[in-house]
Amino acid sequence: MELWEAIKGRRSVRAFLDRPIERDLLERLLEAAIWAPSGGNAQTWRFVVIDDPIQIRRIKIVSPGLLGDPAAVIAVCQDLTRARAKGGELGETFLAPIDAAMASQNLLLAAYAEGLGTCTIASFHKKGVGRLLKLSEGVKPILLVSVGWPAEAPPVPPRHREGVFLFEDSNG
Amino acid sequence: MDRVKLEERVFELVGYMVTSGRNLLTETPLYGPFRLVDAASRLISILEEEGVESDRLQAMRTEIDAGKYSVMSDVEEFESFLDSLVDTLVDHADFEERR
Repeated sequence: MELWEAIKGRRSVRAFLDRPIERDLLERLLEAAIWAPSGGNAQTWRFVVIDDPIQIRRIKIVSPGLLGDPAAVIAVCQDLTRARAKGGELGETFLAPIDAAMASQNLLLAAYAEGLGTCTIASFHKKGVGRLLKLSEGVKPILLVSVGWPAEAPPVPPRHREGVFLFEDSNG
Repeated sequence: MDRVKLEERVFELVGYMVTSGRNLLTETPLYGPFRLVDAASRLISILEEEGVESDRLQAMRTEIDAGKYSVMSDVEEFESFLDSLVDTLVDHADFEERR
């Protein structure tokens, strides 16, 4: 798939078909994620794939932003202990969540290219999800990404452009 | 629906509402009304599966599910959608059981 097609065609999907996703396909999405840039090349992200329907139901109990019934959920986490060791306070508090977001975008675009629908979710209880996933000390979930075969084609939301693009020499 | 399944569905709804309550302390305020009407839709779905259904409840759930995601794209449309829901409530505000 051509890159611009993926960038402009991806939507947040919240309705999914009742159809599983093969593990090797999920692994390809993770491969795309780890090719994202990271501050200081820290690569302190961790990805937890949940594709057991019962475990997804458990995660949904503490994740109000996780809508629909996706075949898989990927918890994009950060090892904040390592992020601090590598990048100090900036690494832990600023770079780690940004790196998680950049990795997530790679994952979303790769999923779209594979015909999958995704939605990035920040509305979940971090500690609750961490407990359910039995995450190691210092590893925190930053985002959840729901993944599934889409059962809807969401409309194209408007893009705001006014005042968004500024060239330095036109800024006073 | 058997009692175990019903209890599980209600537990999921309780989880959705309780966690929403906690997270809304720091989330965008617009998610508050979204979570409330979405919870209403989920409650109606559970009742339907339990055999408790009516035209007005079905109308509410259908209208909620058709318009709730406007919160993500257009605040004015979301506000109109909520007003329309209240109109639907008023249209159906009657009770067979009178005091």
